[in-house]
Amino acid sequence: MRSRVIVYSSLLWLSAVVMASILAPLLTRFDPLQPVGPPLATPNGQWVLGTDALGRDTWTRLIYGARLSLSAAISSALLSITIGGFVGVISASSPHWVDRLIMWFSNALLSIPGLLLAMILVAGLGPGLATVIMAIGISGVPGFVRISRSIFMQTRSQRYMETSRALGGDSLWIIRYHLLPNALSQLLSFSTVQIAWAFLGLTTLTFLGLAGDPSTPEWGAMLNAGRLHLIEFPHLAILSGGAITLTIMSIHNLGIWLSRRTDPTRRL
Amino acid sequence: MVPFPDRPQYRAIVAVSQRILDGLLTAWVTVTFTFFALRIAAGDPLASLLSQGLITHENVEQIRIQLGLDQPLLTQYMQFLSSLLHGDLGKSLYTKRSVSQIIFEQLPSTIELALSALLIGLILGIIIGTTAAWKRGSLGAILAESLSGLATALPVAFTGILGILFVSWLIGGLPGNIGLSSVKNLLLPASVLGFASAGPIARVIQSGLEESIQKPYILAARARGISGGLRLFWHALRPALPPVISLTALQAAFLFGGTVITEVVFSRPGLGRLLISSILQGDFPIAQGIVILAALLYTFSHHLADILAMVIDPRLENEHEK
Repeated sequence: MRSRVIVYSSLLWLSAVVMASILAPLLTRFDPLQPVGPPLATPNGQWVLGTDALGRDTWTRLIYGARLSLSAAISSALLSITIGGFVGVISASSPHWVDRLIMWFSNALLSIPGLLLAMILVAGLGPGLATVIMAIGISGVPGFVRISRSIFMQTRSQRYMETSRALGGDSLWIIRYHLLPNALSQLLSFSTVQIAWAFLGLTTLTFLGLAGDPSTPEWGAMLNAGRLHLIEFPHLAILSGGAITLTIMSIHNLGIWLSRRTDPTRRL
Repeated sequence: MVPFPDRPQYRAIVAVSQRILDGLLTAWVTVTFTFFALRIAAGDPLASLLSQGLITHENVEQIRIQLGLDQPLLTQYMQFLSSLLHGDLGKSLYTKRSVSQIIFEQLPSTIELALSALLIGLILGIIIGTTAAWKRGSLGAILAESLSGLATALPVAFTGILGILFVSWLIGGLPGNIGLSSVKNLLLPASVLGFASAGPIARVIQSGLEESIQKPYILAARARGISGGLRLFWHALRPALPPVISLTALQAAFLFGGTVITEVVFSRPGLGRLLISSILQGDFPIAQGIVILAALLYTFSHHLADILAMVIDPRLENEHEK
């Protein structure tokens, strides 16, 4: 009962964020980059959530921020998932020494903390939102290689694989019709966790100012901007920080729920 | 691994030296990756200096030769490795001061923050974890469980901001702002960071305790008439502690990432803020030095924890093979 409430409220929040980011231009009449009123107006009839230090509408920036933060996090996660999943398949289906080499290398990279790895890449590529997306995506690769490899290994050791091979199925057939569909449900729940991690990493790096332009409507950057007038106008920081926290928690809860649903030993 | 079937002491030595070798190789991969990630991606490291007008087009070639940037990448890499072995991390592009000197100036502040945070995290984690495991379903247990969930879910940046708000609200009611600076400089940042690392520690303690509470020796202790508190802290908590030790070593990584954020939020001097400002300025020798130091520290603590766990529980010796 309690877990159902958690799952439903997570889904509710996430769909609200997704809807807001898709319908952003319809939900507001302001531009997220242009001043529309006096700076630091408190919430009132005209500006629902008030305005920020430069007189830009906070509600507008929040929903455009949802669009930017969410799509950036998903792009980063997709980068880690595609590269990591691809290398994982190669590792799982290669000769033993290739597998060991790939695993050793990703374990070595895993020994650099993820956030630090992303920071090295930002240092190399120079600050900017595109760089941050790429850095978070790449720094998630070694972890996902390990996860996808173990999922593929586990799936491959199932009996039906052997049966299919005995019936004359070639490698591509087996990968397409047996390995991928059966590994997919587990990959999906780990991908959700990857998105939550990417979201946290991304907003952290933008909070630290590594995305360059501070006027970009993005939740991490907005949280950072809210610090300047924290004591007098705490709602600026609390709104963006709360949105970040709720989103991470919701994606995470959804991931746990998915992994329970897709656990083969607990199939309904 | 070379088999020594009848000589367990040799097997232990081989297993430990394998870990040490593995650690050294990992350290080398880390250093190499950092070097090439910064060089290949960066394009021209002097570009940011040029754009800020700190050097001119006339003397750019001269500086390039001075820094050894005109050499082929492989030669630069070999030079970098050999000077790294001598503890030389190069010079800052801006101040021309030695990077290792700059790092050692900022190091104590970061270590102070990280260690206080770890201490607070351990204490909080043990309190929250034991409360959550003891008397399941009670109000205290539910509260403790949601607290540990919150500690894991809240981003450090946001916790820090909430912490500042909370303290200013608390102190706002008191006459004067006495003591604000000392609270703001160490206690508050360390608590914020400690709270975040208390989440996973509490989880591990809770699951360890829930397992050990069901063991027969707890029932035996109860039968002998040992009171609840003593039973909990002496008999049940002890077996739940070893995983916490290895988790604490892993927290080193988290703590470094966390100190970066905490130092920025609280405008506290330290390595984290130095790293961010050097990334933003394009001062790559400093960024490189800090990243290498942090990664080496992490690799070291990770492998040390691995070896320690093996010494405590010899069954783990063979686990590396799988």
